[in-house]
Amino acid sequence: MVKLAAKCILAGDSAVGKSALAQMFRNDGAHFQKNYTLTTGVELLVKTVPIPEMSDSVELFLFDSAGKELFSEMLEKLWEQPNALCIIYDVTNEQSFSNCAKWLEKLRARTPGIHLPGVLVGNKTDLIGRRVVEQSRAQEWAEIHGLEYCETSVVSVFFFLHLY
Amino acid sequence: MKSVDLCLSSGGAEVVLATSCDEKYPPENIIDGNSETFWTTTGMFPQEFIISFHKRITINKLTIQCYLVQTLRIEKSLSKAPEGFEHCIEKELQFTEGAIQTEEFSFSELQATHLRFVIKSAFDHFVSVHRVMAEGVADNL
Repeated sequence: MVKLAAKCILAGDSAVGKSALAQMFRNDGAHFQKNYTLTTGVELLVKTVPIPEMSDSVELFLFDSAGKELFSEMLEKLWEQPNALCIIYDVTNEQSFSNCAKWLEKLRARTPGIHLPGVLVGNKTDLIGRRVVEQSRAQEWAEIHGLEYCETSVVSVFFFLHLY
Repeated sequence: MKSVDLCLSSGGAEVVLATSCDEKYPPENIIDGNSETFWTTTGMFPQEFIISFHKRITINKLTIQCYLVQTLRIEKSLSKAPEGFEHCIEKELQFTEGAIQTEEFSFSELQATHLRFVIKSAFDHFVSVHRVMAEGVADNL
């Protein structure tokens, strides 16, 4: 069995739910952080994830980055040599979606010549009535930029896991 | 005295530390005298390995065969234990698509008992190190 290591960067505007998603991932949905805390710089989370149908596993180093512009200079230093990307936006916030291009550009600039696998995540799908970014539009944007796409709601996942 | 490759497990050299270990490509492959076998890293950088000679040696030429390595730093130690490393050389390697990188470093009598190789960055997610050769003489103490 081989333990591989990978550095995955979580990026996106502030308050879209990057930290909530990261925490949920780490503890397999055992807790949902109810209070908002502003991430300054990066929060590092480590989780070992087995690779399906293989005996190997990946020690995933999640770099939960600050969304606020104020910390961007510091981020650039901490973003060195990533292996995977995760850009998150809020489906009820148009601005957070349009800023994904900016985040992606910043991340890609860190790794010239290497294609990084990445995923675009639309969060807060539980707020149906307030949705402004359509799934098809985000899907298309992700495809153009060579990213996978998925939507989620950290809140819903939490309730789902606790109901069953 | 005749200059020979001192970086061989059959000659008493040993890899005493490696930051990655894939059982199929173990660090011992670096010093087995075969360029076909290699050690691979398993993700993220920096990565490093330390080769101990268990005696003081004088190196004239150091050769490393690797793939996808970008920034390489070599340090040496004269202590009995692998500690107190001093900077030797740091180099940006060229990207060689599909071919092994062969880097040669010439020294005028570099003395060492341990060598540390630090791979600071790479051209891809993983790198391989196929062989390290240290041509020189073993000091008779």
